[in-house]
Amino acid sequence: MDRVNFRTQILTRHLQTHQTTTDLLNTAPCVSYTPPELSEPSPNFDTTSLRKLLDGQSVEDIDYIFNLMIQSNLFCPRERGGKVFIAPDFNQSMEQQREMTMRRIDYLREKGAFDGWFDRKGPEGDLWRFAQAESVSVFDHSLGIKLGVHFFLWGGAIRFMGTKRHHDKWYKPTETYEVKGCFAMTELGHGSNVRGIETITRYDASTGEFIINTPCESAQKYWIGGAANHATHTVVFSQLEISGVNQGVHAFIAQIRDENGNVCPNIRIADCGHKIGLNGVDNGRIWFDNLRIPRENLLNSVADVSPDGQYLSAIKDPDQRFAAFLAPLTSGRVTIAASSMNTTKIGLATAIRYSLSRRAFSIRPNEPEVLLLDYPSHQRRLLPLLAKTYALSFASNYLKMIYVKRTPESIKTVHVVSSALKAVLTWHCMRTLQECREACGGQGIKTENHVGHLKSEYDVQLTFEGDNNVLMQQISKALLAEFLAAKKRNKPIRGLGLEHLNKPAPIIPTHLTSSTLRTTQFQTDIFCLRERDLLHRFVTEVSQYQSQGESKEHIFTVTYQTAEDLGRAFSDRLILQTYLDVEATVPEGPLKSVLGLMRSMYTTIVLEEDASFLRYGYLSTDNAAVVRKEVLKLCSELRPHALSLVSSFGIPDAFLAPIAFNWVDANAWSSV
Amino acid sequence: MAPTSQVLTKHSSNVRTIILNRPQQLNALTLEMVSQLLELLNAYEEDPSVKLVIMKGEGRAFCAGGDVAALANGSWKQGAVFFSRAYTIDYLVATYAKTQVSLIRGIAMGGGAALAIHGRFRVVTDNTLFAMPETALGSFPDVGSSYYLSRLPGFFGEYVGLTGARLDGAEMLACGLATHFVPLEKLSLLEDALCKANTGDPEIINNIIHDFSNKNPKLKEKSHYFRLKTINSCFSRRTVEEIISALEEEADRNMDDWISWTIQALKKASPTSLKISLRSIRAGRLQGVRQCLIREYRIFCTILQGKVCKDFFEGCRALLLDKDKNPKWEPSKLELVSKQMVDSYFAPLDDEDWEDLKLPVRPNLTSYAISKL
Repeated sequence: MDRVNFRTQILTRHLQTHQTTTDLLNTAPCVSYTPPELSEPSPNFDTTSLRKLLDGQSVEDIDYIFNLMIQSNLFCPRERGGKVFIAPDFNQSMEQQREMTMRRIDYLREKGAFDGWFDRKGPEGDLWRFAQAESVSVFDHSLGIKLGVHFFLWGGAIRFMGTKRHHDKWYKPTETYEVKGCFAMTELGHGSNVRGIETITRYDASTGEFIINTPCESAQKYWIGGAANHATHTVVFSQLEISGVNQGVHAFIAQIRDENGNVCPNIRIADCGHKIGLNGVDNGRIWFDNLRIPRENLLNSVADVSPDGQYLSAIKDPDQRFAAFLAPLTSGRVTIAASSMNTTKIGLATAIRYSLSRRAFSIRPNEPEVLLLDYPSHQRRLLPLLAKTYALSFASNYLKMIYVKRTPESIKTVHVVSSALKAVLTWHCMRTLQECREACGGQGIKTENHVGHLKSEYDVQLTFEGDNNVLMQQISKALLAEFLAAKKRNKPIRGLGLEHLNKPAPIIPTHLTSSTLRTTQFQTDIFCLRERDLLHRFVTEVSQYQSQGESKEHIFTVTYQTAEDLGRAFSDRLILQTYLDVEATVPEGPLKSVLGLMRSMYTTIVLEEDASFLRYGYLSTDNAAVVRKEVLKLCSELRPHALSLVSSFGIPDAFLAPIAFNWVDANAWSSV
Repeated sequence: MAPTSQVLTKHSSNVRTIILNRPQQLNALTLEMVSQLLELLNAYEEDPSVKLVIMKGEGRAFCAGGDVAALANGSWKQGAVFFSRAYTIDYLVATYAKTQVSLIRGIAMGGGAALAIHGRFRVVTDNTLFAMPETALGSFPDVGSSYYLSRLPGFFGEYVGLTGARLDGAEMLACGLATHFVPLEKLSLLEDALCKANTGDPEIINNIIHDFSNKNPKLKEKSHYFRLKTINSCFSRRTVEEIISALEEEADRNMDDWISWTIQALKKASPTSLKISLRSIRAGRLQGVRQCLIREYRIFCTILQGKVCKDFFEGCRALLLDKDKNPKWEPSKLELVSKQMVDSYFAPLDDEDWEDLKLPVRPNLTSYAISKL
């Protein structure tokens, strides 16, 4: 119908009698909710198999914790639109939220959820511990962090930095929460630069005690999770000065509260106050006023002080000592990466389910309004993020596996991969949440609908356990070192997936086509080409500065642009590689096809979005146009699988939001 | 008039009453009955003149469940046909488009209980007796019960599902399995009033039932429900072994009849059944009723196939046929039931002719059986 006729009809309707208008209003159907399960095609692949690819052998451990949470009133179950949802009550005060976090932990502990925390050995033990931390984070990030600080940071420091005497003394009370631990590393004046912290510890041989001191305001411990209200003990990171010589950063155990919760003498504690999110965690600040602790409280896995005050360490080089010291704490980055994927899944499952039940605007008059996800623009907003989430989740699993199977030789790889993935995955999480928030419109603003609120809850991931930008630069430094070391040895480069550098540079076809874009050959080639070229550029750039006599430190501050591009290139190539490895385990069939489709979506969207492909000429402008067209096509091909793909995430309905289900009933007058 | 004698129907203007009519067998469901029920429920849903559907049992029972003794004798594929129909009925009831009321007088067990519990209004009375007794029979709580048991308060569902504990009307109301308790003497008056009201408006129906109800029937002194605290602390454990050892620790502290009965019930049940049941209920808690039924169908077909374990046949022999009440379970101990064995019940069957349960597409997915918060 042409526009003039359409307007005429509308005007005619306006002019009709009142009676007719009322009839029209009465007969006009109300917007009603249709579950996507009814309107969408049923899955053409086995969703449980896909979930197994995501959660592997942890499925049962994760589901058990979900069960425990869903069944307790402490997790605030609420009925909305005929379904029960659980979520923290964010309308509570900060103090109330903190108490609820602690009570939830007590509940899980009573149920035996943490029994045998330190006894479970080997890769299975590590995977089980990860599963516990990740599954509680699906409910609430504060709960995950509160648990993580106690078990992974405090418990992990005892385990990895301590020796038998610490294990014997602290494991049991930590598992039962008689001791509530925290982890005092960051200071007001120093965060990422741990080696610059100012807290200082000296040894008093006459009493066999260490004396910990906060010499100035910038040395106060800051952001210490658990310190403000609950923690009884902390691991303190401090410079160790023996006979006037600074031996670098070491870790000590100090009690900060007595069994009644009173702050100990020579300790001052203040609150970090209300935060933009994560208010269920009691972050605090600590000052040490020449606190005396027994000599045995030095966590002495790497270095020790003898009773008479001799400094003893097998590792002479302070750089290496520091690296060996902190290496085991990588587990924090592993859990952050994994948790960020769960949060992303919650956001996407909610926004995509909503987009499959919410309509807006009719394309033609008198036709039903169009489902949000049937708009190509809406597909473009959400579906690439969906494919990317699968790719990054597989990478997160890979990280987990190399962590749990780590050996002294693989520590470097674990460090580089965990740095890269922690940064890339948490950035993806925040970006996805913002897109999901917008995709849900006004409903995304409501706290109960999660997608908007989660942004402030999870934002801190980009900063803690290593600022993302700092981490990305570290990758490039590591790659450079590997490259130079191989060159020096005059041997092929090995490890970190860099072996492709030993081969001739891949050739990218001059004219790309849709089918080329979908081949693993092309996808691998262009990702490798970019990494290889950027590494060569970085090497050249650094050596140019070196020949000008610049210091190493200075060079890294001025080459950050290339370093960041290279960090990205490394991460994307690694993610693609892990994706291909997962895909290879799946037999031919519908699941493999949909995995292939998502892989092409992942690679194509990286090609479209990362400016480096055009910047350095890996893609011609013509080819970039082909890529852009392909994104559109991939979106429409992925569209029918959208519901099955978010269902395969395995996030139970109770952890999603009312807008993911019957949002009309959830908002009905009768529910007010 | 009644199509056949096993299921009767009553018409009263816009109200239809379905009466299970095998009183001698406590209305245990036969293939013929499930086929008829399926037809009737579908027909009533489509018939615009029907506004309200009432379901009840003839005689002293509502329904004692599936006639499993008959199934244990037939081929597993015959059994699969029975279960696919029975589960489809459960799904229809759970998602029924019209208002539906079940009047649960007397025994309601297993598949019989499920007919009612999935529905919108579940009216119990003084002599109602509910149980999911499957683990004692070498089977597991099916018929969509992994959906409703898992939604009971705390870990009461695990308790009811694993031990086969019997609940009376007051307990069912307290835990949310029932929506109303109407005294026995008022039950037929309620039925008349519902027929007379001749409406499908759930609010009016709710008000009518409410008027006849005893809002707060007293729980008996030794009610299971008073033990919810202990149940929550023991039945929330990760594994069946841990549940039993938690109960035994509790027994060391406070031994009484209830706790020794509970431990005994678990020790008498088939070890394989217990493990499957626990895992199924826990999985059900995270799934919709449709997925629950599909999973349970896989499990039951695997049981009937009898490749992994034959406890179901042994249970039927010992409790229903020979009645020696002394089943010999194999494996005989929990620790002999491996994770791989349990896993195999949750996987699709390794048989060319077998396929997953195909449930009909429904106009809505709202399921009524959500526990009270």
